[in-house]
Amino acid sequence: MGTLFRSQEMALCQFFLQSEAAYCCTAELGEIGAAQFRDLNKDINAFQRKFVNEIRRCDDMERILRFLEKECQKEKVPVLRLGENPMAPMPRELVDLESTLEKLEREIKEVNVNFEALKRSNLELLEMKYVLKKAQQTFELDGMAVLNPESKSDTELLGTGHDATQVHRGVHISFLAGTIPLIKVEAFERLIWRISRGTVLLRTSNIEFPLEDPATGDEILKATFFAFFQGDTLRVKIRKVCEAFRATIYPVPDSPAEIREMSIQVMTRLEDLKTLIGHTQQHRHMVLLASAKNLDLWEIKVQKIEAVYALMNCFNIDTTQRCFIGEAWVPHQDMEAIRLGLLRGSEKAECSVPSFITPIKTAETPPTYHKTNKFTSGFQAIVDAYGVSTYREVNPAPFTVITFPFLFAVMFGDAGHGFIMACLAGLLLWKEKAIMAKRDKGEIATTIFGGRYIIFLMGLFSIYTGLIYNDIFSKSFNIFGSRWYPRTSIYNLTMEADKLAGATFQLDPTPNALLGSDYRYEGRYSIGGPYPFGLDPAWAMSSNKINFINSYKMKMSVIFGVFHMAFGIVLSCFNHTYFKRRVNIICEFIPQMIFLMCMFGYLVILIFYKWTKFDASTSGCSPSLLIGLINMFLMKNEPNPKNQDGTECHMFKFYNSQESLEKALVVVAVLCFPWMLLSKPLYQRWRQGRVAYSTVRAAGSDTESVESGQSRSPTSVPDEGGHGDGHNEGFADVMIYQGIHTIEFCLGIISNTASYLRLWALSLAHSQLSEVLWNMALRKGFMMNNIGGAIVLFTIFAWWACATFGILICMEGMSAFLHALRLHWVEFQNKFYQGTGHAFEPFDFKKTHSTARLDQD
Amino acid sequence: MFLDRWFPEVRFNIDDGYLEGLARGFKAGILNRTDYLNLVQCETIDDLKLHLQSTDYGNFLANEPSPLQVAVIDEKLKEKMVQEFRHIRNQAVEPLSTFLDYVTYSYMIDNIVLLITGSLHGRPIGELIAKCHPLGSFEQMEALNIASTTAELYNAVIVDTPLAPFFADCISEQDLDEMNIEIIRNKLYKAYLEAFYDFCYGLGGTTREVMCEILAFEADRRCFTITINSFGTELSKDDRVNLYPTCGKLYPYGIAGLTRASDYDQVRMVAENFAEYKKIFDDIGTQGQGGEKTLEDKFFEYEVKLNVNGFMQQFHYGVFYSLFKLKEQECRNIVWIAECVAQRHRTKIDNYIPIF
Repeated sequence: MGTLFRSQEMALCQFFLQSEAAYCCTAELGEIGAAQFRDLNKDINAFQRKFVNEIRRCDDMERILRFLEKECQKEKVPVLRLGENPMAPMPRELVDLESTLEKLEREIKEVNVNFEALKRSNLELLEMKYVLKKAQQTFELDGMAVLNPESKSDTELLGTGHDATQVHRGVHISFLAGTIPLIKVEAFERLIWRISRGTVLLRTSNIEFPLEDPATGDEILKATFFAFFQGDTLRVKIRKVCEAFRATIYPVPDSPAEIREMSIQVMTRLEDLKTLIGHTQQHRHMVLLASAKNLDLWEIKVQKIEAVYALMNCFNIDTTQRCFIGEAWVPHQDMEAIRLGLLRGSEKAECSVPSFITPIKTAETPPTYHKTNKFTSGFQAIVDAYGVSTYREVNPAPFTVITFPFLFAVMFGDAGHGFIMACLAGLLLWKEKAIMAKRDKGEIATTIFGGRYIIFLMGLFSIYTGLIYNDIFSKSFNIFGSRWYPRTSIYNLTMEADKLAGATFQLDPTPNALLGSDYRYEGRYSIGGPYPFGLDPAWAMSSNKINFINSYKMKMSVIFGVFHMAFGIVLSCFNHTYFKRRVNIICEFIPQMIFLMCMFGYLVILIFYKWTKFDASTSGCSPSLLIGLINMFLMKNEPNPKNQDGTECHMFKFYNSQESLEKALVVVAVLCFPWMLLSKPLYQRWRQGRVAYSTVRAAGSDTESVESGQSRSPTSVPDEGGHGDGHNEGFADVMIYQGIHTIEFCLGIISNTASYLRLWALSLAHSQLSEVLWNMALRKGFMMNNIGGAIVLFTIFAWWACATFGILICMEGMSAFLHALRLHWVEFQNKFYQGTGHAFEPFDFKKTHSTARLDQD
Repeated sequence: MFLDRWFPEVRFNIDDGYLEGLARGFKAGILNRTDYLNLVQCETIDDLKLHLQSTDYGNFLANEPSPLQVAVIDEKLKEKMVQEFRHIRNQAVEPLSTFLDYVTYSYMIDNIVLLITGSLHGRPIGELIAKCHPLGSFEQMEALNIASTTAELYNAVIVDTPLAPFFADCISEQDLDEMNIEIIRNKLYKAYLEAFYDFCYGLGGTTREVMCEILAFEADRRCFTITINSFGTELSKDDRVNLYPTCGKLYPYGIAGLTRASDYDQVRMVAENFAEYKKIFDDIGTQGQGGEKTLEDKFFEYEVKLNVNGFMQQFHYGVFYSLFKLKEQECRNIVWIAECVAQRHRTKIDNYIPIF
């Protein structure tokens, strides 16, 4: 709590790193991760900096690593990721690593080239096999080119023997055979037809199973084709078309016998190739397996080296070239750790001259740094999502830890739903380590996992409020025994059981209520007292349940709201004292508090008063809070009427002299308004005048002390808001600023109090929705009393369970979450929180590594 | 419907809102003046790569081993642009999809002409294909060298491509020689520009307003270039008339003037009559050179200006056209700078055309 209450104290430090030790020291700093460096070479281009060559080499190594990873994926070699965290390697290791990687890359590339060539010839042979097979079929089955022994003698082989010519009935019919990708077949056919005007006979047939493209490794479907034609012109044209469509032409002999012979040759060559490919693949696999082991390690190392050099690019070099000078924000707490780190770095680099840091003075606002742990980080994230807190101002996160789940639970109040939620979050907590180690969880999963402690607390608090409301899946538990007893007249057993089953009862706690109530309240008079914890279960089935609960929840919402806001205003006082803005306490904090207390603080007191003063018997003529509040502001008052028996009925007034007290409260509240509006600007104006006066008098000798007396606080925080800048701004600006804030606050108090009623509204909605779901779904299953009921219940339960989880827990949970978020951001935090800081982003290897991973994924 | 007739913008976002947003996002990634100033300072290509990494191009060169070739940069730049175009094209519905197809046709025309010229000079088809702009590639492209006459070209190959209607004017039995190819190119362009112009005109609304302006300029630019380039060639004045696109601002009077023109000064006289072209011609010296910038550069600059203006309005298709024209210009700029850096020829490095 102590550390989270205000952000860490920061100091701007200068780092003097000896040039020999600079690398090691920077690496140590990266491991510690507690210094936010500033770029001292902002005006220098990325490629003109000192270590651009090293960074480029790292880039190149990363490229090789990516290449290796891709190859591993292609080969389906798993990359080992043990989550190791090696130290940043020394610069001399860079050279070794570089040469190792380059060697590996060369080797794999060489193997790949060989492998591809082998694959290509394999593919060609395979295709050839199909073409020959098809040729056999075409010639034998179709009988298209019955090759007689006589005609064979006339056969003239053209060119390189890539195609065959047949003489058929005295006409030369030649053909070309080959393969073509299946998707191109149609266009190919059309073009062949176009250029030949239909004189080429084209036969195509698909190759049944896919072939592998040697270059990419993708599967491609191909088809074989046979083009029969006459004459050489057509041959040239067809060849050109084939070339254009990337079709491969294969030499096919024209006699079946030769075809057979060739097929056998092809088969044997295929077999040879297969063993060869097997060997190559094995070799490749071995190489990749060896590199897959180290891949993760190398990746981290290279990233660390790159991060170090990128940071060293931000350093200045002093004139003697002996040391690097860097500037960084460092938390006071970690100063010692950083000193030790620098010492270690110097030792590692065997540098005799030490590197050191010195704090320097600055007028800049330091970054905001909250030291969080895995529990508080989620809550801090909620606060930071609104705005990173201003340096050293009160951080609402520690309070949010409790108030957030609590306000959520007030809206979500159902012990059953809360239990499921807590269990799910508990599961996440239990498997925390395993989930944390897994990367690439997906955006939504990451968000939920990040908020696991929030969700867990939300679940626990919901169980608590659910028990208070006595709401468990919209049903009530009779744990301690209800304090309501049935009036015997109802259970005189003359009524049929059926009628009783769905009946509801009116509950009236008045002891002598004879007519209205079906049940009698015994709590007050019996030994046990009222129901000890939460709501009496008898209310669950009464018809006036909603009236009873609404009144209770509405009052509760207002009480919580007023306390929450008052707490926010108190926190603003902490800020004022810390930043030594005493004028703000008098001119803002006190009137604000009085304003709130006079209006809604009084209302809260009245609520408690009403709860204690009136019991069931007198509640009939108790005054209405709402009307009372309205009358208070309208200053209307009417005397209480008398009962028939002469006692006073408190219809309009709670107590005597209420009227004068309320008038006084309203007057005080109204007076607070000009107090807030005018006092501060006027005070500043007066002080400014005094300063000007003293400046003239002292002729500039000791003005400094007067002028900056307030802003020279030990924390050296530049004042935000109107106060510090009042010197420069005109009076009108200050006035307008103050006016806006005053109006916003006063209107805010009223609208924010009303806004807290969402606590009631959402909890009503939630309980009603779950009740509807129970009545519409699960109850239907219970209502059948035969064996069929079991089946119906079985099916309906699934539906009910899904709807409960999907709608009531997930969606309603989300909506309650958002409303709780709003209550914190708007209603609570606007009382004290500025949120104009900038977050602390230390140079940290863990971060560079994870972001690099994200970029790749 | 009433809405469509009077307020076509109302329903624009239903079909094209996402894509327009996307296009504007891509436009935000176009390099600005400071980026160029930084690029110009680069000493080596690797510096250039390092700087491009900090822009919207990101890691597009990360997987290329150094030393980098300018050709690789060019290829990668084009690849990125084509990727963006394909993404938009794949999501588009009518009439935006047709509009985007029209954008690709100009690249197709260039590719066809490149391939025919190349194969005339006996270059291998594979080498030529590599030089083609990937936006204008089509299935039958590689089969172009089969034909030896225009009619054959049309009947065998072009007839299946979307360019077929534009080609109708060019069919003749003449052999394909250099002169004829140039004529074909210009005729194709004329037909294409006119068709695109009509299409945009038919779309109406802001699209008409923006696109017709840009296309009219495109047409006029072609008229000027054709005229100037025809001096001293065997192209007769009568033939020239057939090449002028008629959708520009020059039509009809300017074109009539250009038809009669027989030297540069006469072209200039014609341009004097049109305010926007007068400015272009005024800034450069006589004969198209002598001044700091060539006529071509001035035209490019004007085109960039028109395209940038296209982004000033919303709910129209001009942004898509402009985006890719600007991207193309950007590719040219980067490649120019890269060439200058690679060849250590820094005197002309500033001759790029800044966009924003």
